[in-house]
Amino acid sequence: MLKTKSTHSLRAIVGASVLALSVTGMSAQTSAFARDLNIAETGSTLLYPLFNLWVPAYTHSHPQLRINTQGTGSGTGISEAISGVAQIGASDAYMSNMQVKQHPNVLNIPLAISAQTVNYNIPGLNKIHLKLSGPVLAGIYDNHIRYWDAPAIAKLNPGVHLPHHLITPIHRTDGSGDTFIFSQYLSFSTPAWNSRVGYGTTISWPAVPGGLGALGNPGMVQSAAQTRYSIAYIGVSFAKEVARAHLGTALLKNRAGRFLLPTKKTVEAAANQLVNKTPKDERISLVFAPGAQSYPIINYEYAIVNDHQANPQMAAALRDFLNWTVDLRGGNSRHFLRQVRFIALPARISALSRSQIAKIH
Amino acid sequence: MSRPFKPSRIAQRKFFSGIGWIFALASFLLVSGPLVDILYTVFRKGMSAISLNLFTHVTNGISGGLLNAITGTLILVSGALVFAAPIGILAGVYLSEFGRSRYAKLVRFLDDVLTGVPSIVLGYFSYVTLVIGMGWQFSVLAGSITLAIMVVPYIARFTEIAFLQVPNSLREAGYALGFRELTVILRIALPLALPGILTGVLFAIAISLGETAPLIYTAGWSNFLWNGRLIHEPIGYLTYVIWSFINQPYRSAHALAFAAAFLIILMVLVINVGLSILLKRRRPVRPAQR
Amino acid sequence: MKLRPFRMALVLVTSLIPLALLAILVFLARYSWPALTFNGWHFLFGHTWSLGNLYADPVVRRGHLVPIGANYGILVFIVGTLLTSAIALIIAIPVSLGVAIFLAEGIGNHLRTVLSFLVELLAAVPSVVYGLWGYAVLTPLVARTIGPLLRSLFGFLPFFSGPIGSGYGLLAASIVLALMVVPIIAATVRDALAQVPSEMKEAAYALGATHFEVVRRAMLPMVRSNIIGACILGLGRALGETMAVLMVSGGALNYFPSNIYSPITTMASFIVSQLDSALQDPTGMAVRSLAEIALILFIISVITNIIARLLTGTPRNVSTI
Repeated sequence: MLKTKSTHSLRAIVGASVLALSVTGMSAQTSAFARDLNIAETGSTLLYPLFNLWVPAYTHSHPQLRINTQGTGSGTGISEAISGVAQIGASDAYMSNMQVKQHPNVLNIPLAISAQTVNYNIPGLNKIHLKLSGPVLAGIYDNHIRYWDAPAIAKLNPGVHLPHHLITPIHRTDGSGDTFIFSQYLSFSTPAWNSRVGYGTTISWPAVPGGLGALGNPGMVQSAAQTRYSIAYIGVSFAKEVARAHLGTALLKNRAGRFLLPTKKTVEAAANQLVNKTPKDERISLVFAPGAQSYPIINYEYAIVNDHQANPQMAAALRDFLNWTVDLRGGNSRHFLRQVRFIALPARISALSRSQIAKIH
Repeated sequence: MSRPFKPSRIAQRKFFSGIGWIFALASFLLVSGPLVDILYTVFRKGMSAISLNLFTHVTNGISGGLLNAITGTLILVSGALVFAAPIGILAGVYLSEFGRSRYAKLVRFLDDVLTGVPSIVLGYFSYVTLVIGMGWQFSVLAGSITLAIMVVPYIARFTEIAFLQVPNSLREAGYALGFRELTVILRIALPLALPGILTGVLFAIAISLGETAPLIYTAGWSNFLWNGRLIHEPIGYLTYVIWSFINQPYRSAHALAFAAAFLIILMVLVINVGLSILLKRRRPVRPAQR
Repeated sequence: MKLRPFRMALVLVTSLIPLALLAILVFLARYSWPALTFNGWHFLFGHTWSLGNLYADPVVRRGHLVPIGANYGILVFIVGTLLTSAIALIIAIPVSLGVAIFLAEGIGNHLRTVLSFLVELLAAVPSVVYGLWGYAVLTPLVARTIGPLLRSLFGFLPFFSGPIGSGYGLLAASIVLALMVVPIIAATVRDALAQVPSEMKEAAYALGATHFEVVRRAMLPMVRSNIIGACILGLGRALGETMAVLMVSGGALNYFPSNIYSPITTMASFIVSQLDSALQDPTGMAVRSLAEIALILFIISVITNIIARLLTGTPRNVSTI
């Protein structure tokens, strides 16, 4: 009846868009479509770069499998693995006793070992490695040590000209495994911090006026680079970004009193100290390990997986993939780990991981 | 006796008026400057990722193309319209044709309130009720419904205004000819109100294109193209790329984030142009004051 | 009037809208109820937010199972939200009025469409893109240029003196919010100015007013309620804004801003950034406390909407939102 021009153009628009969408759909490569066997991985931003190296390599030889990766934070990884929204929750932190009690069928499977650096941005001093210890860092992050030339810092670094300037401590705002291991370092080395603040993927950071919260490891790098006289804790897989931003890296004091940088030797030394102490469920902290050569902030990178999967095919696919990741010829080979500066699991640990993986059904 | 002429006073007023205009111009520049800078920044930083690849490949974690995100965005927005358009249009019809009752006034008020709900609240609500509660997990359905809730008030508003602008004389002519209420609305008022309704729909599309928070908790993310499943299947979308890829330690990921931002702005631009053309075509009748 | 099926169908479908709103409200209230009873008024006035020790066993306090040391206080975030919105409006209102005057009276018809379009485009940019631009461009700009400029001009006021820091903070967040709010107010006021009857303008001219004086003294007062209503709508938008603020606000925790360059956190951005951590709490109290924040935000947005409607009546402009 009263068909107006706009009705005609409306039809044209609708028709064109439907056509366009279907053409797009049809012409896209069929291999780009999601299949029934979709594995969703989500979680730690520290593990995310490694997963993104693993996934293309593995699915190249297993084309019927689709693995989605997301870097959302260890907290999300754990909770989505528990709720079943994701099949693999990547986390730098293991589950707590209470969480295990509530969800006894969720596995914490170490896939690799990573480390963390403490970085700072002090004009003129970024090229040298300052010596810092757990108690000093605790003092900085809870507002007891306010200036870079405070006696506590100067004592550790004789001969270094420290500027008289307020320190800006930077922490993670999101639920983060990096926060977990950094706060463990502070807790294990400083009883006062342990009783007042403690450790966790998220903690109630003491009020330091001007203290910044950053999102993700890249946010930490960016904030530190933009804020002079700041200090931040950054995962070791972001070492390239740290170098590009010209931030300084600290020598950290370990339990034996030595000051070390995270190198393959020092990280492996720390890992080996705790290999025999690692329990069957593999929930243990590697932070502040004993031993003269042990770097103090290292951790297992976990895959949090529910041992009961939706169907046997999914379980088999998960087992195959996870077994490949802990294999020294597969995911744990130098080729992958070198790019993110992680180290491989010691033999006993990868055997423990495999026995946990076997439980997935 | 006439008052003495005071040139200084006039000059003073002219001076202040001039300042006023300078202020007005400066405000405009202050506001369009950042806009131009945003467009320029997005384009410049996304340039390295803009190629045909963007439209033919899917994302593979840190690089690749944006095909999955582009189609995902279109699917989610279309899904939102599937829910929001019928409900919004019918609600708009009700409000305009039967809008004097107390109930209609209440609905109109709640309609406005709904537009003011922060998107994170909607996203969280859907996460707990749809994703977890109904067991849909990350899904197209959860994402579409959440977007629909966000935009349905706008469609209802625009529809109501469009119908209000149809002159009553036409309706009365219809009744005089013996048509039923339904016929009068559908056959006489609706075709005339259609441009206004379309405006509302386009507005809704523009809003949903740019949303992130509601989708993060409902649609999840997928590196792959949609396989047609409405539930238990996450989907990618462009705003997620912007939000999370900027956090990756790879140049390629950053470039993708900016390229996604560029694409969204382009889409919204196109819709805005469409909107202004439609608005110009309408008769400049202002809605009656209530 | 007889009950007609068509009308009934319309009423039913229309009711889905208030139903959705009600569902959200009920859900938030029910879900956060344990947190409401556990936290009490301390929630609004406490300035420490602590999820407690999530790795130790939870304890029972005030009748609820919560982690040891759990203490939920959001005063810091309330302050952050109110400050950013207030400063954003302080920046946005005069600028929007200037833009509206410029667009409505300052230029000819041909330019008007194009330039208005430019301003409306500001409203079309997704907030996450604002966040991206803020992170990449604005925060360094604040740290290097805008901050020092403000400090040199207003440094005698304690609010503008002190360390400028990295650029992430109250100032950057307020600027971004202001950019998002300006199109709302400017478009509304521009349209309202266009509707002022020409007799008012002609009368003012006849009395010898300059063009600007006509605008300022004859036109603006007439549209005062529109301006106020638009400002409230802009306030509503600023209060609920999440992503853009999250990326430039600096994520302050447990302390109040000391000056305009200081990092802050707003309620909406806090919910987004804390959700994953809160999901780690086995007792669930953390998530419920976040839901309580969402409830409070919801109530605030309802209140601002009520005020907006009371102040503007109901004129609904097509080209503005």
